Amino acid sequence: MKKPEKIQPRNLSAQLQYRGRGNSPGSHPSSAVSNSFPGLEMDFRNIWKNIFEGIVLLEYSNLVTGVDENVDKKIKALISEGPVYELITADEKKMTAPLTGPAHRHNHGLSGEVALEWSNALAEILPKAGQVVRCKFQNNTNRRKHITVDLKVRHFFDVDLNRNGKITSQRVVISRAMAGPGDLTQSLCSPWQNDYRECGCFYWAASRPDYVNVEPGPKGKSRGNNWMEKDRKPGAEANYIVDNFADTRLVTYDELFTGWEQALRFIIAGKDEPPLKPSKK
Amino acid sequence: MSKQISEIRILPAFAIARLGSSPDPMDNYDCEIPDHVGFRKIIPAETFYIDPKTGRIIDYKKPDDVRFRDSKKRIRPVAPFLEVWVRFEKENELQPLTMHHLKKLGLKLSDIHWRVRVGNNKAFRRTKDLNDKILSDTSGFENFKRKVLLGKCKNFLSGKTIPYGFGQFIKPNLKFPEIRFRFTPAGGFVYGPPSVSGAPIKAAVYDPKHKWKGHMDDLNDPTVTEPVQIYANDRSSKVRSLGYLDDECDGFIEVEILGKTKTHSAYARVVAGPPTFAPDGVPVRTVHDDLEQALLGHLINEKVDPKEISDILRRALETVRLINTSVMNHALGMAWADSTQGRASTPIMNPNVVDNLAILARHESVLLSLKSGSLAWFARILRGYDQVGDLTDEGRRRMPALMRGADGNHLALTRRMVEKIQHAADLFLQHKPATKD
Repeated sequence: MKKPEKIQPRNLSAQLQYRGRGNSPGSHPSSAVSNSFPGLEMDFRNIWKNIFEGIVLLEYSNLVTGVDENVDKKIKALISEGPVYELITADEKKMTAPLTGPAHRHNHGLSGEVALEWSNALAEILPKAGQVVRCKFQNNTNRRKHITVDLKVRHFFDVDLNRNGKITSQRVVISRAMAGPGDLTQSLCSPWQNDYRECGCFYWAASRPDYVNVEPGPKGKSRGNNWMEKDRKPGAEANYIVDNFADTRLVTYDELFTGWEQALRFIIAGKDEPPLKPSKK
Repeated sequence: MSKQISEIRILPAFAIARLGSSPDPMDNYDCEIPDHVGFRKIIPAETFYIDPKTGRIIDYKKPDDVRFRDSKKRIRPVAPFLEVWVRFEKENELQPLTMHHLKKLGLKLSDIHWRVRVGNNKAFRRTKDLNDKILSDTSGFENFKRKVLLGKCKNFLSGKTIPYGFGQFIKPNLKFPEIRFRFTPAGGFVYGPPSVSGAPIKAAVYDPKHKWKGHMDDLNDPTVTEPVQIYANDRSSKVRSLGYLDDECDGFIEVEILGKTKTHSAYARVVAGPPTFAPDGVPVRTVHDDLEQALLGHLINEKVDPKEISDILRRALETVRLINTSVMNHALGMAWADSTQGRASTPIMNPNVVDNLAILARHESVLLSLKSGSLAWFARILRGYDQVGDLTDEGRRRMPALMRGADGNHLALTRRMVEKIQHAADLFLQHKPATKD
């Protein structure tokens, strides 16, 4: 991989893509999952909690969980009844979407709203960083109660500003104001190995494969192993064991806590790495 | 007189370290695509070999092969390098800062001060006890010795810490004069409170009289994080925390250059997470995608490189390739998540066509026929960011299917990714050859 020798300061895209000399692809953000619920390497949702000055939002929904001490009383009202106010529009952009579809109960449909994921919902708000936008909040215990306040949008990336608040220089590192040490990983599993055992997040396949050693089986349908199966041998007929933390044929929590490096195998070209043999040393 | 420093930056600005207990860090590699729909091929790439004691660069070469484990089968940690880039006054470009630049400026390597501040707030996020925050702060240092990152916490037992790895200023030389730093993550160990013998932890560090040991997520508290109860627990109905902690962390690598008249500073972010266990694949939506949207916006104002479209589709293919789509179609994953929203419990896709090989074949055909009408079809079935609450049969079958987004709803790509695909599809339709009626 040829490394650039010089980069234009304004070529932020090139800086974002830069991997660094000697760094493997696994060290770049392009190797890390961002559909985080809660994520593996980091929980990207945590970045958005502090996007508006003066308030703190919940990482996974539009609920206000806190306000700064020095804000005016209209903003303080967002939390005075406890965490009940939800951000429904920012700069007139909707932060929610309708919930539709057939319900459990016969002849009923789903109704209500779901909070949109921050990264996409705020995409049109981020260009207004440094400016004030009108935010409308709704009380989730009494939907007729609303609070509308003007809030300043924080700069997502680290910037230098002139006296008029105009950006004079921008870097591609996420601003310190958005998250402090430990904040990006705070909502991940503790310990992280727990996620590999109980979570149904099998769609993070590059980090946490699910269906491995897959081959065509009878009638052309696939057969393969669950990545968490302990006893799988090359060439043996594979029968996927459906995830169940009580099934001892699958790696257990304690085995992950003490020996995850041996319990979990790398998957290259869809197949297991060679079986691990005890070291003679 | 030498040109003075105008500004410095650290690149990459955001680096991912990956846990592993081997003392031998992971080699560098690249991925090639020899077959349009086949697996990426992992090939060796130029790797720095560093003397851990002195920070000296011993060698820079391609390894013979790419090995993710050492001879004792321990996983080799991904330990990224961070470089200082500089822009000099009256110049328009950033370039790697070197020791030659420093010499011209009358500065020494000891005028460069590093500081690492990383933390782990997982227990704090649940207990809300500020004393459960774990922080490692090296303070400023300028030598080439490995600086151990010791996580300290007020609620730890006296004198106990959790090691979060090392930070090291890499000693430049005539062949590699650039100023760089290395962050090496921890081994991936589990820590906890003192308990009965045989507990699966490396060391007892947490004082059990504090909240994290025995903590229970309050499901009536709307501010708990989702998903709830994702911590090592007693497996009882109360889901009581065992008080376990890990050695993942995130935070800042900071650098200061003490110039003759001015101090210049910069920082980068690092996180330490688990390895990529299928390293020849890439997630369908990545942190880079989200950062790119935050940086460049959700709209596309320039021509889209067809390679970017291939890459998105390839990532989707690489994801479904390692998912048991039949199982995920009903009762697990999003099918299960939908039922928790009150939706009628039905499979997402027609069970007769959802086998992994069938889904894979469909993705391969789209990837192979990017220059045909398939892309227009694919663009039409993508889930819009504001369609994530559509749990009708048609809505649930939109792409990406069977996957969860950061809001807990069905996954939508970033709006910028969708725009890229839409642009490429529109371009095809504009230049579509005339067909005979």
